[in-house]
Amino acid sequence: MEDIKAYIESGILELYVLGDLTPEEKLQVQDMASKHPEIKAELGEIERSLEAYALENAVEPSAHLRDKVLNSLLTNFADDSKFPTKPFNERDDDGYAVAEYDNVRALPTSNTNSFYKYAFAASLAALIISLGALYNTNSKLNESQGQIALLQSRNQSFANQVNYLENDITVAHDASFKIIELQGTKKTPEAKLTMAWSPVKKKVMINLPDMKLAQNDKDHQYQLWAIVDGKPVDLGVFDAKSDTTSNGMIEMRSVANAVMFAVTLEKRGGVPSPTMDQMVVAAPIKG
Amino acid sequence: MTKKHKISLSEEELVLALRNRDKIAIEALYDMYSSSLLGVIARIVVDTAIAEDVLQETFIKIWNSFQSYNTEKGRLFTWMVNIARNLAIDKVRSKDFKNQNKNQELEINVTFIDEQRNTVYKPELLGIRDLVEKLKPEQKAILELVYFKGYTHVEVSEELDVPLGTVKTRLRMAIIQLRTYFN
Repeated sequence: MEDIKAYIESGILELYVLGDLTPEEKLQVQDMASKHPEIKAELGEIERSLEAYALENAVEPSAHLRDKVLNSLLTNFADDSKFPTKPFNERDDDGYAVAEYDNVRALPTSNTNSFYKYAFAASLAALIISLGALYNTNSKLNESQGQIALLQSRNQSFANQVNYLENDITVAHDASFKIIELQGTKKTPEAKLTMAWSPVKKKVMINLPDMKLAQNDKDHQYQLWAIVDGKPVDLGVFDAKSDTTSNGMIEMRSVANAVMFAVTLEKRGGVPSPTMDQMVVAAPIKG
Repeated sequence: MTKKHKISLSEEELVLALRNRDKIAIEALYDMYSSSLLGVIARIVVDTAIAEDVLQETFIKIWNSFQSYNTEKGRLFTWMVNIARNLAIDKVRSKDFKNQNKNQELEINVTFIDEQRNTVYKPELLGIRDLVEKLKPEQKAILELVYFKGYTHVEVSEELDVPLGTVKTRLRMAIIQLRTYFN
């Protein structure tokens, strides 16, 4: 008991309450207080008397401060409890706690908060405008690409047409060309194909726009034959399509002397020798 | 302030409400302790506006670090007043504050402050002058330096040029005087 009395009278408890002890000394006082109720009671007395002394010396803050402080606490009311607080080394603020003491730095004023709020709002607005502009630009880009594709397709179409007309003109102006009309066989009396042949230049052209052949399916193609020295010679394959616009005059394989031209319907890619019962049009060459 | 209804809770209720982070706790905390805490802050940071800034920082710090308060280690006010005192001292020692040239001599006494500020009028504490008279000048000086200025007892010993042991004894005697007075 004497030891405890001496401990109390040493003045260390007053310094403890005033936050004027080293961390080790604080732990020691806490340890003593938990073991000895007299020390704990003495600490309580010291605290209460200093608290009363502070109350006597109280200074009333200005009236507007209450709202300011309450608002600054309520502003981040919802978030604070979720934030992990980081320990940092500085003066020991609480006068008691030692190693486990952590803290959060106070924000200076609410002005900073509103600055970040406005900054955030401005950033958000800028983002939305940017996204709008991006979407707009992208739409225009797609539109332009569509137009380019259309123009390319038209260009191709014109090129085809020019090619066809060139061939047409060549055929029309070249006296060596003979225009041959292949007539339908008994099996296909309606069928018809016009071709141009120049024995001198060994050129064979067929005119797709005015041909009248049943449209072939994807497994079959028409094959043009020339009969040379009693034997059929393969001059190549072609398709008969319902839309004739995309087709012009196409050049087939060359042949110099032929006594007959004929077309058979064969499997796609052609065959080495014609299937005679699949002959759709034919024409003998006179003279 | 007088227009508003002040909220008052028992210390246990307030600690519980603060732990639960009830909104009512913030108001009660302010109403119960703002003037006591400002009394300490204002004796270190004399400029009214700056002292009130420090008070605001104090409440923010109390609120944000409340989980580090432990009732086993002492009363709520003791914990809070140490936060307030340290923030006030940090402020006075900060470069900004020194540059503003606003720190005044530490010798400014309670009377000066009381003349400058509206000290709370409490009918039940009419006997304050009795208390001041009961405290011996050297006790009062030590309380002033340690409790209101945040001096360590080592600093007080140097400041007043008295031995450490004497400082401790006087401090204890001063607080015992307070105890007998308040009891």
